[in-house]
Amino acid sequence: MRNAFSSALVAAAKSDPRILLLTGDHGYTLFDEFRQACPDQYINAGVAEQNMVGVAAGLAKGGFKPFVYGLSAFVPIRVLEQIKLDVCYENLPVIFIGDGAGVVYSSLGASHQSTEDIAALRAIPNITILSPADHYEMTQCMNLALRTDRPIYLRIGKSDLPTVHLSVPDFQLGELCQIKHGTNKMCFIATGSMVSTAITVSEKFGEIAVWSAPCIKPLDTEKVIYISKRHELVVTLEEHSTYGGLGSVIAEITSEHSPTKVYRIGIQDRFSKFCGSYQYLMKAHDLDFESVLNIAKRLNK
Amino acid sequence: MQKFDTKDLRQTILKMAYAGSTVHIGCAFSIVEILAVLYRSHLKFANNDPEDPFRDYLVLSKGHGVMAQYACMHELGWLTDEDIQNYFHDATVLKGLSDAHVKGLEVSSGSLGHGLSVGIGLALAAKRKQTKQGCFVIVGDGEINEGSIWEALLFATHFELSNLLVIVDENGYQAMGTTHEVMQLGNISDKFRAFGFETREVHGHDELELDRVIKDLMNLNSKAPRAIVAHTVKGKGVSFMEDDNRWHYTRLTEDTYKSAIAELNSQEP
Repeated sequence: MRNAFSSALVAAAKSDPRILLLTGDHGYTLFDEFRQACPDQYINAGVAEQNMVGVAAGLAKGGFKPFVYGLSAFVPIRVLEQIKLDVCYENLPVIFIGDGAGVVYSSLGASHQSTEDIAALRAIPNITILSPADHYEMTQCMNLALRTDRPIYLRIGKSDLPTVHLSVPDFQLGELCQIKHGTNKMCFIATGSMVSTAITVSEKFGEIAVWSAPCIKPLDTEKVIYISKRHELVVTLEEHSTYGGLGSVIAEITSEHSPTKVYRIGIQDRFSKFCGSYQYLMKAHDLDFESVLNIAKRLNK
Repeated sequence: MQKFDTKDLRQTILKMAYAGSTVHIGCAFSIVEILAVLYRSHLKFANNDPEDPFRDYLVLSKGHGVMAQYACMHELGWLTDEDIQNYFHDATVLKGLSDAHVKGLEVSSGSLGHGLSVGIGLALAAKRKQTKQGCFVIVGDGEINEGSIWEALLFATHFELSNLLVIVDENGYQAMGTTHEVMQLGNISDKFRAFGFETREVHGHDELELDRVIKDLMNLNSKAPRAIVAHTVKGKGVSFMEDDNRWHYTRLTEDTYKSAIAELNSQEP
């Protein structure tokens, strides 16, 4: 998925000198190709994220299209106010890349884990939030980001999971992607890393509809109403706090327009207690296959 | 031809502050001469257009002084008498801090430590486009408590932004007291020099000196960004406001408004 991001960025930057890449001294090896292909468009702003975002805003006001790269624990969290005031208030075309979202940096602890980024950004006007599940969704997210002249946050979570699509899906901003059809009373709406888990778990039941949400803001209200009217229970899955992320969005829409039971699977308002492998951390947060399967079995009774 | 007479500018500030019953008069008064000199002699706007794409940028990072900039924009004809009279009235656009949605204001500031970085982005954009635009950023001495300012100074030097001039309004006060009491800054010029800036100190209310030093700095043959530490007086221009930090937050009454206007009227041109 990170390769899909890098390839799309390099291709775009080669043909458009307005595209600049700013990084806060992160992206080891990820930007080798970019630096080789477009060295003049690469700006390492140093370990100074606040200034980096302000500079990106100024560059955008001066006619450039900056991509601002950081770990999602820092971009957007450390620079939330710069994103709000310098970029979103003026609706500037700055694209924020938050890498390693969720508990990807499982062994590095709370400083590098990011399970609040969607919640924090959602309430800021003008920003679009993208959360691709695989490299195909990433490619389409980059297509959309490159032709949108507004602030965008592109969340990159665990990037080496199985693909969930067979080709690049043709979704537009706000659209959900149906991965599996199903008539079960329960359906899954997942985003990012949890889409592949949702698919695997659904296969244990059969007939469970699975939707991917590569775009969390905006989100197609009509489609969510449509889904909620066809199922008794909507289960949301995300590698993010159950507060303020995809589950909250779905619950907000359904409670207002089409009251349906929504069960939110995500991080349960807690930090990771221990370190370990990514798989260990996902299990510790009840987000691994077995835990989700058990939850789904219980809910499906 | 605009004169940017500082007595007129201060009267406009007082009119706004009284009309809007607003604060931050002291913050505006300390930068009146700096803005007058910049607008009169240094900032280029083709056809007097605040949105001229090749204009020089004036970034008021210490957004609290925005009434001084409004006063200059009024003189330029970018703001009307009604804008001044209706300050802070319902459904008007001129806010109490610099706001980029207003034509003529480049950044939204007031949350401190933002404008300098955005100004640096504008300066870098101009460098990359080779448009010869300058970027003038005014920061407060209180504002430079913010860590992002020092991040920005490192960046400006590293990227050789010789088209950037940072002016520090060193009035010696911040919201809750003197800078010495609240957070000692030491020698600001030394700090800017240590960060790689071509730095000069000026008397911030001496227009001739300001003009000369800005010219000297911008004509320097150096890749370094430029800085001026301007020694100013908070509340400058009205005796009972000068060096009295209550005028960071005090609103005008009819009496204080009238006596401030009268005092300005009585001053020698």
